[in-house]
Amino acid sequence: MQDIEELREKFLDLEFDRTGFTVDAKQSAKIARAYGESRPAYTDPSDPNFEVCIPMLASLASGRRLPIDFPALGGISMDGGKSVNSLAPVRPGVKLTGRTHLHDIYAKSGRSGRMVFLVSRMQLYDSEGNHLASTDSRQVIREKPE
Amino acid sequence: MTVNNIADVEFGTELPAFTPDTTLAATSAFAEAVGYAGNGRFEDHEKARAQGLPGALAPGIMGMGLLSRVIHDWAPRGRIRQIDTVFRAPVLADHNHTISAIVTDIDEASGEVMLDLSIKNEKDETRVFGTATLVIPLS
Repeated sequence: MQDIEELREKFLDLEFDRTGFTVDAKQSAKIARAYGESRPAYTDPSDPNFEVCIPMLASLASGRRLPIDFPALGGISMDGGKSVNSLAPVRPGVKLTGRTHLHDIYAKSGRSGRMVFLVSRMQLYDSEGNHLASTDSRQVIREKPE
Repeated sequence: MTVNNIADVEFGTELPAFTPDTTLAATSAFAEAVGYAGNGRFEDHEKARAQGLPGALAPGIMGMGLLSRVIHDWAPRGRIRQIDTVFRAPVLADHNHTISAIVTDIDEASGEVMLDLSIKNEKDETRVFGTATLVIPLS
């Protein structure tokens, strides 16, 4: 069983991936329409205030899910949730850089054993270095009993 | 009911309950739009069951979209600054779901409003829960 404090000391807050993105306006609008969004600023690429919708931001994936030297924890991995922090509108067509680090590592124990939570945070910047948004991906690993 | 500025918002207000479209057609369309389609997990009950799932399901970020849609409908001039969703259990396609949201905090100086959010199924089981912070114009 991995020591959570050791993992935190070794891996937290260290960038392990840098990936470029350019979001397509039509795809973002299609996603927004698919969940029933009503605002033209998300569904109509010709709207002067058009911006990338929240689920589209949440879907942007880093090249790696975890640092290359992160130990295998075993067990069953599940998608535990997502979070988006929007600091400024993300416009389609803008070149984005996503920098990813492990933001948090913690564990919860119950009758069925221990679950380890890994929170990867991707910070999205435009080409001028403006921080536009952050997305968190919460991975839950249900460890196999020893 | 909708809100236009921060003075319209009251602590404890429950947003109008909303029944989202979580039919297989809707989850398929969302999965196709976002690029998740192909292995049947979101588009085909039999293929999903073959993968050990109870049936086809809605992508997790579709839940995030449905929640943001409810917020946008309630506060047409509001802007979501932060939304956090916990995927507690799958949102299954072709099951009925209800979205609830309640105002838990208001900062009248900044226009920030905090909401608690949930998606429940027809058995009143919470599938997704979370929080959101949105900014509503002061006037």
